[in-house]
Amino acid sequence: MIATWTLGLLRRRPGRLAATAAGIAAAVALLACLGSFLAAAQGSMTARAIRSVTVDWQVEVQPDTQPSTVLDSARSAPNVQAALPVGYAHSTGFVAQTGGSTQTTGPAMVLGIPPNYREQFPGAIRTLVGADNGVLIAQQTAANLHAAPGDTIHIGRAGIAPVDVVVDGVVDLPQADSLFQKVSAPVGAQPAAPPDNVLILGQAQWNNVFDPLATLRPDLVSTQIHTALEHTLPPDPGSAYTQVSAAAHNLEARTAGGARVGDNLGAALGAARSDATYARVLFLFLGLPAAVLAALLTATVVTAGADRRRQDQALLRARGASQSQLIRLAAAEALVVATIGSAVGLGAACLVGLAAFGSPSLGADPLTAIGWAAASAAAGLAVAAATVLAPAWRDLRDATITAARAHVRRTRPPRWTRFGLDVAVLAASGTLFWLAGRGGYQIVLAPEGVPTISVSYWAFVAPALLWIGAALLVWRLADLLLGRGWPLVARALRPLARSLSRIAAHSLSRQRAPLAEAIVLLALALAFAASTATFNATYQAQAEVDAQLTNGADVTVTEPPGSAVPPDAGTKIAAIPGVRTVEPLQHRFAYIGADLQDLYGVDPASITTVTALRDNYFQGGTAQQLMHELAARPDSVLVSAETVKDFQLLPGDAINLRLQDARTHQLTTVGFHYIGVVTEFPTAPKDSFFVANAGYIAQRTGSNAVGAFLVDTGGRDTTAVAARIQTAVGTTATVTDIAATRGTVGSSLTAVNLSGLTRIELGFGLVLAAASGALVLALGLTERRRSFVIAHALGATRRHLRSFVLAETAILVACGLAAGAILGAALSQMLVRMLTGIFDPPPTALSTPWTHLAAIAAVLIVAISAVSGVTVRLARRSPLTVLGEL
Amino acid sequence: MTRSRGEQEAVIDATAKPPAVVECTNVSRIFGSGPTAVHAVRDATCRIPPWARIAVTGPSGSGKSTLLHLIAGLDAPTAGSVRWPAPEDSPRATAIGMVFQGPSLLPSLDVTENVALPMLFAGQAHDAAVSHAHAALDLLGIGDLAAKLPEELSGGQSQRVAIARVLAARPALILADEPTGQLDHHHADKVITVLLDTAISIGAAVIISTHDPAVAARLPDHWVMRDGHLDTHPNTADSSAP
Repeated sequence: MIATWTLGLLRRRPGRLAATAAGIAAAVALLACLGSFLAAAQGSMTARAIRSVTVDWQVEVQPDTQPSTVLDSARSAPNVQAALPVGYAHSTGFVAQTGGSTQTTGPAMVLGIPPNYREQFPGAIRTLVGADNGVLIAQQTAANLHAAPGDTIHIGRAGIAPVDVVVDGVVDLPQADSLFQKVSAPVGAQPAAPPDNVLILGQAQWNNVFDPLATLRPDLVSTQIHTALEHTLPPDPGSAYTQVSAAAHNLEARTAGGARVGDNLGAALGAARSDATYARVLFLFLGLPAAVLAALLTATVVTAGADRRRQDQALLRARGASQSQLIRLAAAEALVVATIGSAVGLGAACLVGLAAFGSPSLGADPLTAIGWAAASAAAGLAVAAATVLAPAWRDLRDATITAARAHVRRTRPPRWTRFGLDVAVLAASGTLFWLAGRGGYQIVLAPEGVPTISVSYWAFVAPALLWIGAALLVWRLADLLLGRGWPLVARALRPLARSLSRIAAHSLSRQRAPLAEAIVLLALALAFAASTATFNATYQAQAEVDAQLTNGADVTVTEPPGSAVPPDAGTKIAAIPGVRTVEPLQHRFAYIGADLQDLYGVDPASITTVTALRDNYFQGGTAQQLMHELAARPDSVLVSAETVKDFQLLPGDAINLRLQDARTHQLTTVGFHYIGVVTEFPTAPKDSFFVANAGYIAQRTGSNAVGAFLVDTGGRDTTAVAARIQTAVGTTATVTDIAATRGTVGSSLTAVNLSGLTRIELGFGLVLAAASGALVLALGLTERRRSFVIAHALGATRRHLRSFVLAETAILVACGLAAGAILGAALSQMLVRMLTGIFDPPPTALSTPWTHLAAIAAVLIVAISAVSGVTVRLARRSPLTVLGEL
Repeated sequence: MTRSRGEQEAVIDATAKPPAVVECTNVSRIFGSGPTAVHAVRDATCRIPPWARIAVTGPSGSGKSTLLHLIAGLDAPTAGSVRWPAPEDSPRATAIGMVFQGPSLLPSLDVTENVALPMLFAGQAHDAAVSHAHAALDLLGIGDLAAKLPEELSGGQSQRVAIARVLAARPALILADEPTGQLDHHHADKVITVLLDTAISIGAAVIISTHDPAVAARLPDHWVMRDGHLDTHPNTADSSAP
């Protein structure tokens, strides 16, 4: 019986089954795609973290411990691929005599590396000029000493005579921060910057130079075991972090305190953990509503055919079918649509994955892929059970045969409307949102060095309640408009329906329950599409702002520290093809109290010609006002928020900063007046910096030396212009362009995967919006085909039929668009605020993608118009044919 | 052998030529094509004069409903022609009233609106159409059903409302396709009485397709459909003549 019934459904109701299966397929595809995104994101975050590290562990040999013992322990540790000893020695300074002058540096570091070090750790040292081995001098040190390959350097040793070495090559140390870290020290205790002066010797030469110093001053000489690990780690950064950290602790335990592990890989994975958690948060914020929406769409599709199903059931009951038999038939239908929907959904997810992420796999590994596919299919089955089986069971329990055969019943408002549930839910959502705002919207907390990540799941309740409350409120308003407000509807429909407007309004009023549901669904789908698109647009805008802040301008030429390049050098850069404007930017270091902070000197009148200063970078005035004040009162200074807080500064306060005077090479006190807060500034760090008038700084320190030149290219050919500038200025200055910076800034979440997620979300948003409008309308109209055919038989012309269909379409589109726009705006605000942690810097205003939103509205209107047109055409068919079909 | 009233009219028509309500000439209707094609009506010719009272009988699937739809202009013939002597040579909305076999009331409209609908389609103002609808309902004695929805009516009440809808439009021809098919004998008799009284009151011709011999017996003229062939003179020796 079940097989006969199911085959009959497939033959006689293919449209109904296909529409239901399509809704399930959408839900399954979305879940599988987002699962795929999540898995891919986590896997690539781990891979990216691994790639960012050149030396996985820096195992520091403790005093009184033999380096060979620690080396053996490291080499015998599980998953260790290579372990090499590296000598670290403190020098009193370097001296070089070049070009007839003597250059001297301050305290310096000298490393001793074994011969195969660069093979084992290829990213640690990059040759710029000269040989790859022998005596290698860091680029900045070479600039300080004016040294080049072939020049002799005197290495100062505390308490014993200096040693001369001849430079073989100039190198860059890309990972200098971690290379010279204070192993096992907390973040605050780490040096602010790596040493300015670094020399690298071969291990044998280093031993010759520093063994005598080790005997005399063992505190100035140490050994680290640099370790490379096998990177067979779990794809989830959190799990990988736990595994690597545990292995590091294990090594420390096995050396019995003889070594401390500087866990660079663990630190990188630890930083990626919060990104991975945010990826999960994104899944919950963006993916879950869409999946629920797809399920609602399915439910609405099923509801559109509910009358017919009830009539089928009534007929079967009248013919003697038992309740259990009817339940089994409904279960068979649910199973059929779930199977078809899941298969189509998973296939679609593979195609989407291929397009968005370049791989059809639903997970980073087969197990994950199978897991996500199974979970998505299970969700599809649950949707089918909830939308097909549950209503059938409810009908069987509640409806009599006679009632089940009725087409239209008098609408009674649901019970919740009497208790104001919608208003209560919205109020609860607002309250929770406000509470989350008081806590700074900190959803994910991943403290450094702590293995656990805390996620504030309460934060998810506010948007969830907003979705629910808004859906209920839209339902109530639609019901009110179509019910009591029918005269208003009739008046609005008069241009479309003319003399039929009152009858059309009455008809809509009596069918307002399904129509209100369709309006709610359309509004939710549009709100989802709009909020997702707005979130993505805002995110992209902030990523661009981040790139601009990091690089400073289209192209930035950073001079090496200690150099004395005058602003006039910008003239040479300005002459290079593709360069529009060049702006010098001073970069000094200034002491405030005992704190050393960055100080940027700008020309307030011209800084904005090369870089955008947004008002939200400042507090105490707009960007223009504060630049004007810097120009009008040259001793003004803008201070970062953290410094203002730490030193309890008030606007107008005098601040004495100590800067190096170029004439005496001594620190000199320079007086400033605090005029406002600067939170972001091009090329500046995230906190602890000042911005002041460059002319004033030059006057008070006797030097107008430039730290960087900000170059405006009009946004065009930045990479090519940067290459031309690099050729012109040589290797001493570092040239970076915004195109390269875009690829490196931001978290691993942004750089690797968000574009794929964006495409998925925008695509599904569009499909759901179009489907919610067109599919639901089509099913609703199909169910009323008989009415249209009868109307045609009673003398309705094409114009009459069109006015009936357009009346319904117009109400659906107008109400859906209006409610969707309002809810979309509210959700966008909430989404961006709640996910503040993802944005860097946080946005002050939303970026609205008007073109995309207009495209969504256009696609929706076109889809709905097509459905309306087809319905009118079908209604003109022979009544005998149609009535016989129905 | 007694000649049917239709034949008498036809004779009169041949001399005085009163205008026919509808004329069908060699009309055929084929559904589908190829080997599965269904010839619902084959080469049917007929003429319906004013005041006609015709029962169309025949087995299920013989083409009765198709013939009525062709006469009403709701379907187009595959071959032959149907002529309505209206100015536009097409059935105006109110020229032919149709009572369908099954439920034919629009479920989302109440009884008054259902009855008023054809008049609104014909261009009447809303208030005037509603007023005529109320009058038609009162005439049939079902004014108390005016505010009810179709789901709240019995089968007999639904058919009486459908007849009221026809009455309100005052057509020249009423076509009723198995109007009593879903009613018991008692209610069927009442519905036919109402239908014929309505036709008399508005001066309309009536054609009823039916399986029920009792219904057919209440009409003076009979047509018979067999396998798509229309016999307008089933009681004469030469039954092929129109």
